[in-house]
Amino acid sequence: MKFLEKLRRYIRVSGIAPISRRYFIMNAFDGATTILGIVIGAYVAEITSELLVIWSGLGATLAMGLSGFVGAYMTEEAEREKKLRTLEKSMLTELTNSVVGRASRFASLWAGIVDGVSPAIAAVTCLAPLFFSSVGVFSIDFAIQLSVAIALSIMFLLGVFLGRISKRNIFFHGAKMFFVGLIITIVFLALKVL
Amino acid sequence: MIRRLVLDVLKPHNPGVVELSEALSHLDGVEGVNVIIYEIDQQVENAKIIIAGSSIDFEGIKKKLEEMGATVHSVDEVAAGKRIVEEVRTPQDRSARM
Repeated sequence: MKFLEKLRRYIRVSGIAPISRRYFIMNAFDGATTILGIVIGAYVAEITSELLVIWSGLGATLAMGLSGFVGAYMTEEAEREKKLRTLEKSMLTELTNSVVGRASRFASLWAGIVDGVSPAIAAVTCLAPLFFSSVGVFSIDFAIQLSVAIALSIMFLLGVFLGRISKRNIFFHGAKMFFVGLIITIVFLALKVL
Repeated sequence: MIRRLVLDVLKPHNPGVVELSEALSHLDGVEGVNVIIYEIDQQVENAKIIIAGSSIDFEGIKKKLEEMGATVHSVDEVAAGKRIVEEVRTPQDRSARM
């Protein structure tokens, strides 16, 4: 059986698709929010070195990615192991080497990967303008503004994605997520004024 | 040379009947598969599986079912040979069922 076909079967059998969607949105949102906080914090603290912000952001990204992977993998593995044992009791047979057992192991790993990679993707995308600023493409002020705009856009898009899943108003859902980011931005800017 | 096989199978809800019947139908010597769920439990379900073909490999079928997480409870009917012999009702069957 082809590799992709096998993956599709494991996803179907384990029912991991909706769970990984949730993990993806939750953690991508976490990633964007964290970097938004770091970037705005750096702006409020009047940090002029892009590298400081980039390294702080990358440190947070690595921590979020690793904690996401380990946390989701271990939680999912424990839950699925319990489910598999219950099923084995009902079936009066061992299912470890069946498609059910393999799909269960795959689902734990898949959940871990999604949980680990999604905040990293969002975070690195938000940090991208600062990379350009560090090589002299933009000024740091413009890079921070662009980084905040990207973070807020990611939040809006995640809301749109949620709206599409629930088949409700995509702009309303996008706006809800966007406002969370906006609140963080406004609170920090207010702190700077004070 | 098995031409028809009727099995009583216990299976988890996932993989579903569509997936299971497709997997069985791709095996060598199998020409048609029919899967009927006749009992559903909280964790598992019982299925009657009818397999027809030119030369069905019983061990291959069993292996595939186990790979899909199912177990064969009983082999309820086997038709083998050049011609499929259908079940016939006899007076003894009638009296036995009364």
